[in-house]
Amino acid sequence: MQRRDFFKKLGTAVAATAVIPAMTFAADAPKPKGPNEFSYKQAVDIITGGKSAKSSSKVQLKVPEIAENGAVVPVTVTVDSPMTESDYVKAIHILAVKNGNTRCIDVFLSPDNGKAMFATRIKLGQTQEVVALVELSDGTFLTTAQSVKVTIGGCG
Amino acid sequence: MGKRKSLIKIKPKKYKDGEIVKVSFMVMHPMETGMRKDKKTKKIIPALYINDIKFEYNGKVITTMKVWETLSVNPVFTTYMRINGKGILKVTYTDSSGEVNEKTKKIKPKG
Repeated sequence: MQRRDFFKKLGTAVAATAVIPAMTFAADAPKPKGPNEFSYKQAVDIITGGKSAKSSSKVQLKVPEIAENGAVVPVTVTVDSPMTESDYVKAIHILAVKNGNTRCIDVFLSPDNGKAMFATRIKLGQTQEVVALVELSDGTFLTTAQSVKVTIGGCG
Repeated sequence: MGKRKSLIKIKPKKYKDGEIVKVSFMVMHPMETGMRKDKKTKKIIPALYINDIKFEYNGKVITTMKVWETLSVNPVFTTYMRINGKGILKVTYTDSSGEVNEKTKKIKPKG
């Protein structure tokens, strides 16, 4: 009888130790979701409203090819535009393709800016492409993309 | 939270009427994504980031920005602006917690 009891106890103990780590793993498994989750396709659809965007050399995207620290990546977007009342850049969108939230910033410009340029610093989680999406005042969209190699990710 | 530190820089420092100058706006802000864990307490730090930025020059809106949490800590925003007489440049920024702050800079063109 004593032997039997011992094995019973051993069995339950083994089962318990096997279950507990599994449970903690299960609790850890779903990654904490950010407040805004946009996939690249979703984001582009929301911005363009279904219109197709042309890749153009008018838009210049300046990003370092290798970013040592993904938490701070400087991005500069310059658009070749006269910036007059009839022809100006309406909006500049910066997107990072593989981030949890691909949208980084939407900038809405006006002719008073005088020059269509915007610079900021973004976070990149991994090696990926950075895309600049530009809307002109006549409703057309232009894009350019550049890939950035990230050695230490900085997003979440 | 108190007031956040922010700064408006204009380049070049001496400018004339009608000139196009570079304006950069910096804020000291943590820009939490809501995905990072505190290493000591193992709890997720709640998201806190800037939502909206508005550049106003003499009451006229020049640039508006919709910002997401994927910008870096202490972000910098740089654009150009045409100087159009004496006035005040006001930058208003809104937090995801609803905190609204503003920063002003006097514009004095010379010559």
